[in-house]
Amino acid sequence: MGAERKKIIIDTDPGIDDAMAIFVALNSPEIEVIGLTTIYGNVYTTLATRNALHLLEVAERDDIPVAEGSHVTITKGTKLRIADFVHGSDGLGNQNFSPPKGKAIDQSAVAFLVEKVSQFPGEVTVVALGPLTNIALAIELDPEFPKKIGQIVLLGGSFFVNGNVNPAAEANIFGDPEAADIVFTCGADVLAVGLNVTHQVILTETDREKLAQSNGKFAQYLCKILGIYFSYHHEAYETRGVYLHDPAAFLAAVDPSLFTYTEGMVRVQTNGITRGMTILDNTKKRYGEITEWSDKPIVKVAVTVDAPAVVKMVMERLMNS
Amino acid sequence: MEAVSVMGSSENNGNHAHFDGPIKVIIDTDPGIDDSMTILMAFQKPELEILGLTTVFGNVRTVDATLNALLLCEIAGHPDVPVAEGSHEPLKGGEPRVADFVHGSDGLGNIFLPPPVGKKIDKGASEFMVEKVSQYPGEVYILALGPLTNLALAIKRDSSFAKKVKKVVVLGGSFFAAGNVNPAAEANIYGDPEAADVVFTCGAEIAVVGINITTQVKFSDADLAQIRNSKGKYSQVLCDMCKFYRDWHVKSDGVYGIFLHDPVSFTALVRPDLFTFRKGVVRVETQGICTGHTLMDQGLKKWNTSNPWTGYSPVSVAWTVDVPAVLSFIKELLMKP
Repeated sequence: MGAERKKIIIDTDPGIDDAMAIFVALNSPEIEVIGLTTIYGNVYTTLATRNALHLLEVAERDDIPVAEGSHVTITKGTKLRIADFVHGSDGLGNQNFSPPKGKAIDQSAVAFLVEKVSQFPGEVTVVALGPLTNIALAIELDPEFPKKIGQIVLLGGSFFVNGNVNPAAEANIFGDPEAADIVFTCGADVLAVGLNVTHQVILTETDREKLAQSNGKFAQYLCKILGIYFSYHHEAYETRGVYLHDPAAFLAAVDPSLFTYTEGMVRVQTNGITRGMTILDNTKKRYGEITEWSDKPIVKVAVTVDAPAVVKMVMERLMNS
Repeated sequence: MEAVSVMGSSENNGNHAHFDGPIKVIIDTDPGIDDSMTILMAFQKPELEILGLTTVFGNVRTVDATLNALLLCEIAGHPDVPVAEGSHEPLKGGEPRVADFVHGSDGLGNIFLPPPVGKKIDKGASEFMVEKVSQYPGEVYILALGPLTNLALAIKRDSSFAKKVKKVVVLGGSFFAAGNVNPAAEANIYGDPEAADVVFTCGAEIAVVGINITTQVKFSDADLAQIRNSKGKYSQVLCDMCKFYRDWHVKSDGVYGIFLHDPVSFTALVRPDLFTFRKGVVRVETQGICTGHTLMDQGLKKWNTSNPWTGYSPVSVAWTVDVPAVLSFIKELLMKP
């Protein structure tokens, strides 16, 4: 059955909801995780690599390669925004897990991405859960990358709603706006899942209790690390639940029918007060002048989600583990 | 009746019931076809006292806006209403963007009316605004129908302008929706983004009506025919103007009719009860591909660090509109003999 399954590379900055997405992925029979590539965002890249290795060891899947990604933005920026106040200074809820035994492969994330899409043209889906530096670098390294990749499913942007870093920008896009603009305009089959959708996918306290009561290995592990994520959401949003950004985006790659989509051109603002803002042109309007969106490739943007179905799938895959 | 929503609270939609005497209004305008409709509608409301028109570039160049404003006052039988000419260029300088492809080269749908008899006053627009709000502190409404250059200059000219003006109602921006110049920007804000940012952050009582609201309120071809066939005092001249405007809507938006941007904003001034508003800080992008984008902080998240929206006074952003009620309000005024 392995040959039939969709090949997925998860580009990730674990991260509590990344951990959840990775576990859900490892328990998804529809797909095969052929590698993890790491990036800064919720943590710095070095720690992202360490956490990726750790999570695979927890899942007893250390056969899956981890390739370390960029430590800087595509413009070589080193002033990174790291969301340790959301995920803990270790990225995994401040649990002081012992370091992983395994190591990242010698290949960089970018080289790994290019190699895999060249080896399996049209077959690889990249699920990008952090800033898009690695993907943009792969596009720069191999101009054929957009043609060879099956699909890029990315968690990022906020379409017609406020961001979460500031009113204009969502964290992953804000992390490397220039890279994001390259990815959105590269011509690949891109599907963006933004805050407008992921803010509807909420894991409640009740769900968390259910996870705690299950014997699922993944469920048990996640309950250990979810505390800080719940506290952050309570403080920032006055909610008693947490947003399942990464698992929702991952499931869009597994079962696209859980979402509906619009199509249009997306550009990313790279300067000014709205740096990191994503603007989608899905109008039927004929603008009087050539715009920065004109003649750009069309991407898909998620507009609605069957949130109960997504939460149910996430829960099941975490509990039956 | 007070509608309350979390943090981004709805403002009190109070009308002007307890207001003594006529409502004093300055219309800052770039006529413009929908501006013309609005100005002639305003003259049909006896409870309004139009202190003056101030002019700006946008639909036409400022000098033509001034001529058109004078002409409209004369058509309305109010040649005594002062017209103060405003800035010829945006704050940062340079050639203004002029939407002659929407309004015709004369700004009035290429109907080429004879020139006005009267003249503009000697005072400039921002000076006129400052003078009037100082003369009637807390009483003057400003209806801003074009780029916000004149208002920004008035705010810069008099640091207490924001406190003295009763309320500024702005037609501009596009909130959580596409623009009409490009996907990011609406024309009035795009015309002078720096000025718009000055106005939205000045601390005055501001209500802003974006094209996310105004494009919901349309006249169909049938509506236009009904107005033409009515006894409306200005219905003939307005419908003549509207031909060009309507044809552009077909080409640009596939709309067989017209959007009522300026009349809707006017309605938001005199009948705010026909709208709901949400409060939030609004900033305008002045750089990059999204220059002219209006972005409102809805207040749904407690930010853990300060950001460019932090520390400014919220403004009221039109959130919903009672479309049938606004349409009939506008129609009634346009069909009034």
